[in-house]
Amino acid sequence: MTASADRARAARDSTGLAFVAEMYGVQLDQLSLLLGVSDRQAAALVARWSQRNLADSAILSPGPRWVWITRPGLQACGLRYSPSPPALPRLAHIRAVTSVRLALTAAPAYQLGQAHWRSERRMRARLGGRLGAREHVPDAEVHWPDGEMHAPGATATGAIGWAGECWAIEAELTPKTVARTTSIMGELLARTGDYGCPAAEVSVPGAPPRYARAIYLCTAAAARTVERARANLGNLGPRVEIRPLPDQAYLQVRTPA
Amino acid sequence: MIVRTRTRLLTRAIVAAAAAAAMAAALPVTLIAIAGYAVAWQRGWQPARLYRAALWCLPLVAIWLVTTAMSRDSMLGLAEAPWLAWLGMWHSASNGDDLAAAVQIAPISVPAGLAVAGFAWSLRIHAMAARAAGRSPSSAIAFDQRQWRHQARSALARVTGPLAPPLLTRRGDFIAGAVIRAVGHPARPTCVLPAVRLRSHQLVLGSTGTGKTTLLLRLWAAFMTIGLRRHAESAAGRPLLVVLDAKGGADGRRIADRLHRLLKASGAGNVAVWPDQAHLTLWTLPVKQLVSTLVDLIEHGSGGAAYYTDVMEAAVALAVQAPCGPPANSAEFLARLEPGWLTLAYAGVADMATLLNSAARQLPDIALRFRTLFRRLGPGLDGPGSFADADAWYCILEGTADIAVAEAQARALVDLLACHVTAHGAADDHGAANDHGAAGDLAHRQQVLLAVDEFSAVSRRLPLWQLFERARSLGLAIQVSAQSWHGLAPNEDERYRLAATAEGGIWLLRTPHPEPVVELAGRRPYIDTSRQLSGLLRWTRTGTSRIAEAPIADPQLIRMLDVGQVAYIYRGGVTFLQIKPVITAAAPVPAADPRASEPGPVAEISTTEVSGAPLPDVTTFLTEVFGSFAGQRGS
Repeated sequence: MTASADRARAARDSTGLAFVAEMYGVQLDQLSLLLGVSDRQAAALVARWSQRNLADSAILSPGPRWVWITRPGLQACGLRYSPSPPALPRLAHIRAVTSVRLALTAAPAYQLGQAHWRSERRMRARLGGRLGAREHVPDAEVHWPDGEMHAPGATATGAIGWAGECWAIEAELTPKTVARTTSIMGELLARTGDYGCPAAEVSVPGAPPRYARAIYLCTAAAARTVERARANLGNLGPRVEIRPLPDQAYLQVRTPA
Repeated sequence: MIVRTRTRLLTRAIVAAAAAAAMAAALPVTLIAIAGYAVAWQRGWQPARLYRAALWCLPLVAIWLVTTAMSRDSMLGLAEAPWLAWLGMWHSASNGDDLAAAVQIAPISVPAGLAVAGFAWSLRIHAMAARAAGRSPSSAIAFDQRQWRHQARSALARVTGPLAPPLLTRRGDFIAGAVIRAVGHPARPTCVLPAVRLRSHQLVLGSTGTGKTTLLLRLWAAFMTIGLRRHAESAAGRPLLVVLDAKGGADGRRIADRLHRLLKASGAGNVAVWPDQAHLTLWTLPVKQLVSTLVDLIEHGSGGAAYYTDVMEAAVALAVQAPCGPPANSAEFLARLEPGWLTLAYAGVADMATLLNSAARQLPDIALRFRTLFRRLGPGLDGPGSFADADAWYCILEGTADIAVAEAQARALVDLLACHVTAHGAADDHGAANDHGAAGDLAHRQQVLLAVDEFSAVSRRLPLWQLFERARSLGLAIQVSAQSWHGLAPNEDERYRLAATAEGGIWLLRTPHPEPVVELAGRRPYIDTSRQLSGLLRWTRTGTSRIAEAPIADPQLIRMLDVGQVAYIYRGGVTFLQIKPVITAAAPVPAADPRASEPGPVAEISTTEVSGAPLPDVTTFLTEVFGSFAGQRGS
């Protein structure tokens, strides 16, 4: 095997392992999409991870196998998450969030702005088992760094209009009640502190809000509830964006209604 | 003599035969009376409940009478309607149609039967209370104990069943639980207390494992829910709940977690856990108060040690009241306890040289004591933060692990709260005077409840009774809970002061020494008689009677209370009740207040406040990445 092939494999390992660890677990088709390889190559990669005890895989739902990171894999990535397979009731949600991340990272503006995806797992790990930390945690945060950026390896440069902002990402597969959704939106938009900060800093009057916007990616059924909740927010409503989930977000691929 | 005896026996036989005949003739009434009596016995009801049930049947009787009159086209038919119904019942029964018989006689037999059952049950209770019934003299005691068991079982079923009472009534009054027995209070199925009681001083006494935490959580949830509701109605300022858990440890943190979830469900905004998650700052106290608090944090001796106390107070005053202003944190305060710093700080102030020279000799010792104190206290009092930052503060004091530190922390936190309440009240008074006048004063006054759990851990150095007597005028209510009477305060005088000023009531759970509190509840008169009950409501004229007194709340009963059973003592009466645990979300706050269900000043943050300008448009970017619902509908 040549040195360049080794480097490519190492790059795939570091990217894939860290990605899977952040997302709790992913399906093979999403992993192949992330790494730009075929499904067969992705399966071989996972087999190699499993052989080295870095990851484990199983068929947990309809569709391709799920892969998740084991304790040695998490240690190799330098992450202090509790190792466990993705929870069965959350598989659909995990897939939806992963597809949102893949769609965002594929966008040129995301690469140009060198945006950073901060996963729910990372935020929950930051909260730890702290008592009283029962605030709503979004499915992810997207941080857009300040200033003019250019994508690594790309020649194009330019300023992202929303540079410096932090977005809350919410994937809604099933509708909640309007009151609950309104409450979550209000809590997100009023939040000023990071997760794990002292309670007194969670929402400080006069301080700049943590999230410039909340991006809701919804099914058609959930979108109606989310739209009504946004209407209840009054002048905060423009800070909520509602979009459909990507087509690949569903466990059983189907045409969105 | 023999003739008289035979006559009496004959009379009794005739009366018994007549009664049996009447019971047989009015068989439906008899059956319902027996059933009502049995249910009242089995559930421990009061006779009034059967009477009320009979009254609730009266509309049915009225409808039946009206229907009968309309079917006969005559009001005269009403008089003979019961008689005809009775005949019809027997006729249907003789034909084997029992259902028709029951329906025909039900409008009369049900209310009459319930009234008879109530009367018979009241006779039984009174006879037992007079110790004049039962096979043996001890029957009355057995009857009372059995009835207590029945009442307790019935109350437990009411709070655990699907129709368990909510936290608040529709009027916003507090429902504590299901009534087991009441003496001197109205005997209702549920114990409903006016909301104002929760904003008054209260006392909670109960041993470990008796349900004290369950009761406290319910009281706190009710206080917060009622407070938010009043705030939404613009009847008062936003509520503030401060809990000092003087026990600490893992148990304190578990309770903090439960309270956090409970209050969030009640509509509270921020719930802070001190010192784990949030801090408070001692250094924003007014200068004189800061000096006093700092000196009080350190334990002093008496007698000759008073000299050192005075020296320490002088040195602390020099450091805090320096011309450059008070220190901002403990490190800055410690840096000031040096002769060099004080000399420089007071360089331009006349007549300070002698004082500084005198204090200089003691400053290293004083600084050492404060350095040790701050190390033991931790960073919880160094800020930033104030009580205004959250709707509820759960302060965990490690009273079990380190009692001296817990005492100092409690002292500082109470001083901070008193200062916060005073400052808040003063600001409100000022604002009200300017904007709304006297009516606005009450409407803006913050409702504050200070709850001190396991008070015995800090009672030695926290003279809470001093705050009791002046707190109400500031809108501050204090709730003290301890495991026993002796844990309330170091001496009997202070214990009685605390108990006597608890105008919101005393909650007494199982405790081995309830007598002092029971005495505060008062006594009730009862008749001690040697007259005999010779027949139905007939007493012989031989014998004597005297008025005696018994405690309103039976101390022996309180010693035997089960888990979750509480005696609520208020205004010379006691209600024994089964507390309803708060498991699900508390009653929601009405939507009148747009901020009620949101954790902070959401309404004030507008789109333009994020960066001072309207947000950049991201529509194109998001549409490129995810598309839009409009696009999907169009395609």
